[in-house]
Amino acid sequence: MRAAILAAMALCMAALLSAAAPAAGSGAATTHVYFLQGEQLVPVSRPGSTLRATLTSLLAGPSKAEAAKQFRTLVPAGTRLRSVRVADGVATVDLGEGFAAGKNADSLSARIAQLVFTATAVRGVKSVRVLIAGGVPLGLFPGIALSRPITRKQASQPVVPPPKPAPDPSGPARPDVRALQQRLADLGYLAADGVDGVAGDQTRYAVIAFQKWQRTPADGVVGPQTRAALDQAVRPTPIRTGPGGHRVEVLLDRQLTLAIDDNVVVRVMHMSSGKPGFATPTGSYAVFRKEARSWSVPYKVWLPWATYFVGGVAFHEYPDVPIGPASHGCVRTPRYDARWLYDFTPIGTPVVVYGRS
Amino acid sequence: MRIVAPIALALALVAGASGAEPPQTLVPGVLTVGLSLPSPGFQAGAVLPNKRVVAARGLEIDLARSLAARLGIRRVTFVNEPSFSRLLARGDKPWDIALAEVTITPSRRGRVDLSAPYLRADQGVLVRKTVAVPRTLAALARLRICVQRGTTSVEVVRERVRPSRPPFLFAGVELLFDALRVGRCDAVVLDAPILAAERAFAPDRYGPLAGVLRTNERYGIVIGKGSALTAPVDVAVQALVGNGTVSRLQRRWLLTDLRRLPVLG
Repeated sequence: MRAAILAAMALCMAALLSAAAPAAGSGAATTHVYFLQGEQLVPVSRPGSTLRATLTSLLAGPSKAEAAKQFRTLVPAGTRLRSVRVADGVATVDLGEGFAAGKNADSLSARIAQLVFTATAVRGVKSVRVLIAGGVPLGLFPGIALSRPITRKQASQPVVPPPKPAPDPSGPARPDVRALQQRLADLGYLAADGVDGVAGDQTRYAVIAFQKWQRTPADGVVGPQTRAALDQAVRPTPIRTGPGGHRVEVLLDRQLTLAIDDNVVVRVMHMSSGKPGFATPTGSYAVFRKEARSWSVPYKVWLPWATYFVGGVAFHEYPDVPIGPASHGCVRTPRYDARWLYDFTPIGTPVVVYGRS
Repeated sequence: MRIVAPIALALALVAGASGAEPPQTLVPGVLTVGLSLPSPGFQAGAVLPNKRVVAARGLEIDLARSLAARLGIRRVTFVNEPSFSRLLARGDKPWDIALAEVTITPSRRGRVDLSAPYLRADQGVLVRKTVAVPRTLAALARLRICVQRGTTSVEVVRERVRPSRPPFLFAGVELLFDALRVGRCDAVVLDAPILAAERAFAPDRYGPLAGVLRTNERYGIVIGKGSALTAPVDVAVQALVGNGTVSRLQRRWLLTDLRRLPVLG
């Protein structure tokens, strides 16, 4: 059953990647609308074939079952479809003022991407001209030019250059720092290359991971309590015993990622999953897509070392990995671990997301 | 019908703060407001083929509506003026007043009337995420600074900040913000209210507003030279600044009370 779901999702993603309009089925007419899951747009099927029917389905939002799988829409509820028309491959979509509601740039950007992908999934539509209350939007969607029709390709293109890695901290190596790092590395919280005697974010993240596993307040500072706990600690074990080989457990309550090899926890990594309203979906999945440089189409941000395991949900590098859940559903991983995790998880690697560990 | 008169008088008093007749406008009973779309936080909307602006929003939109109410004018319509320089040109205007973050200067005062200032704009400093927030000019000078070409910000950085490395120059505000976002710059120096608006729109993209550099630029409302509206608009603007309306709009649209920011220099 699970395999069937995974196969269906893989097909959906393939359709998304090829950026082709879904082929007309042989049976009842179906269309596709795009919702958000993690950092990407994900198509779902709906009955109908016309642009109006398709857009009406988009405005209606995900079903309850889809919402339970953490499909989201950022099109405001109650947005009115004033008129639609198609001429020469250009769909002119006139929406009520509600479509531009709110001030959050991510949300405004994501709903335009949803609209463009959904409209261009309809046969014969190549680009979309967006009107608000009959007018051409100027400044209502910050950073998005809407004075001309936009194609799916334009909506998918990166608008900023890929990030350059920040320089590592430098400074004199200290024996006490090195000893702490060695202890963290021995327990699986720090990569071996992080044992350099220089205090910095990499060490702080490892301390946070340790504190999260211990379920003590995570502040990244080694005080007496953390010190005592470190002296007594043993390497964490997997939440469940599973198949041999590489697999990953994601612990939402602890905000940790466990990399497991033959049922031994190789690494315990600090992470930040989906914030309230964008929770990372729990369940059993498998890695199906890997991109060293992934571009988030709806949110317009680079996701280096992205390993997708369900819909638009991936492990990826992010410069800012706060203590608690903060993402759109993905698993934000510190830059020190992201490349390593990417290499650890070939296509097919099992990933289980636990709500409680 | 003796009771009618006092009621009518009371209504007149409610309608206009001064109790006087609403001033004459291009379209009677309507205040036609010129804009120069877009400007983050200040003005955004959708433009119809006849230049009418619908779905208008922003600090200056709300300010125009408050101003109209103060003048006793019930309706407000907005029209977009694609050319900023035309807003400030001599001659007849297709609007009664215009708002477009116009800094008051003596040379502009020669061509159009400019109201009392409604916002004082200093230069602001916005830093990228993860950079140590500068608390002094000296600390700022050590960062890689980016500015928009052709703005007063360029002079302020060269003359007052004197950075250790020459600043990067960008043609447009969007390129400037992208450079900050991807880490090509440590800090951007630009009009503080615009930085505040950009940061409010996309809080995840940037670090904090580090502070301001006092320049005392002041934004005024544009009115046609010698218009009968100039005097009442001036009075109304001063009232809206004095009673806290403008501060409230700043908090609503820019989400940052700029007066509370540290002064770096």
